[in-house]
Amino acid sequence: MKRVSVELLKPGAKLAKPVVNDSGMILIGEGTVLKESHIERLHSMNISTVFVEGTAGPSKTREELLAELDARFKKTENEPYMQTVKRFFKEYIEGMDN
Amino acid sequence: MDSREMRSQIENIDTLPTIPSILRKLLAVIEKPKISINEIGNFIANDPVLTSRVLKVVNSPIYGFPGRISSLNQALILLGLNVVRGMLLGVSVFEAMQKTMVGLWEHSLGCAIAARIIAKKKGLKEPEEVSVAGLLHDIGKLVMGLKFPEEYGLAIAEAQKGHIFMLDAEKNQFNISHADAGGWIALKWNFPQNLVEPIEYHHKPHLSKVVPLQTAIVHFADVLTRAAGFGFSGDNFVPAVHPSVWQLLDLSDEDLKDIVSELEDSLGQAEDFLFADE
Repeated sequence: MKRVSVELLKPGAKLAKPVVNDSGMILIGEGTVLKESHIERLHSMNISTVFVEGTAGPSKTREELLAELDARFKKTENEPYMQTVKRFFKEYIEGMDN
Repeated sequence: MDSREMRSQIENIDTLPTIPSILRKLLAVIEKPKISINEIGNFIANDPVLTSRVLKVVNSPIYGFPGRISSLNQALILLGLNVVRGMLLGVSVFEAMQKTMVGLWEHSLGCAIAARIIAKKKGLKEPEEVSVAGLLHDIGKLVMGLKFPEEYGLAIAEAQKGHIFMLDAEKNQFNISHADAGGWIALKWNFPQNLVEPIEYHHKPHLSKVVPLQTAIVHFADVLTRAAGFGFSGDNFVPAVHPSVWQLLDLSDEDLKDIVSELEDSLGQAEDFLFADE
C-alpha cells in the first residue's frame, strides 16, 4: 500500500483504503479500481492524497531514476548496441509524468 | 571441486533437507517424462496454497490475460501443460528464491514478462512457453544457493563489494556459473529442450542449437529486466547484449520502443498485483 497524490493518480490504480469525507462517510469504497471519472471526482472534492495498492516506496524523481539508469549501464554502455537499449529506457523515463 | 563433482552434487539436490517440501512433492510428479494434464491438475488442486499462487500468477501481467482465469483447468487448457509445469516450479521455489537472494523472484518474474513481450513482438506462436523459460532462467542461482549456502553467500558478497557481475563472482568461487548449474538440473528434471537451452545458454546465447530464437529472447529479456532495474539478481549492472542476439532478433527502433514501454508498464502492474498481499 502506498500513499499517492491525486495529481499523480492514473486510471487502473486500486484503492487500498476507502476515501472518506470529513464526516467519515465513505465516498469511494476500498478495492475500487479507479476510473478517470473517480479521479475527476477526487479533484472536485479537493481530496489531496489516497492510499492505493502496491509496495513501491516513495516514488522517485525523474532525476533519481535517470541517475540510477546511468549507474546500471556503467559497465556496458560502450558495448555494441547498448547505447540504443539505454536510449529507449531513458526516453521512457523522460516521458513519465511525475 | 571439479566440475564433474559439482554436477553430481547439484543433481542430488532433491535429497537436501532444506529443499522446500512443496518442491520435493512437485519434483516427484514433474520428473516423470510423461505426465497427464489430470495428474498435474490433481496435484495442484490438493494444495490450496499452491492453487491460489498459480491462479495469482496466471492472472498477472506475466501471461497477458489478467483476471480472466478462475480455475486450474482453465489455466491448463489456456496455457498448456509445459507452461503450467514450469510455472508450478516457479511458484514453488518462490520462498527459497527470496531466501537465497532477495529480489531474485522479482527478477525472474520481470524476465518472464519481458520474454513474453519480445516473443509476441517476434510473432512466436507460444509466447507463454518462452515466458516460462524466462521465469526459470536463473534456477541455477537457486540450486547453488540451496546446495552451497555458505560459498554462494561469499560469491554474493564478492559481487557486491567488488562491483562485479554475479556471473564472474560465481566463476571465481566455483569455477562454474548458475547457467551451468541450471542446465544440469533442468536436464536432470527432464525439462524440455525449449527450457534447457535458454537456462543453460542465457549468457552464451550463440551456443543454443535447438531453440536459438527462444534462447536469444530470454537473453535479451534478462538484459531488459536489469535495464529496467526490476528485482535483483546478484548485481546492479546491465549485461551487454550478445551481438548474435541483436542480429537474430532484428528489432526495429519502433519495436524496441514498444517493447520497453510495454515492459515498464507491465512491471509497474506486476508489482502491485503480485506483492500487494504477500
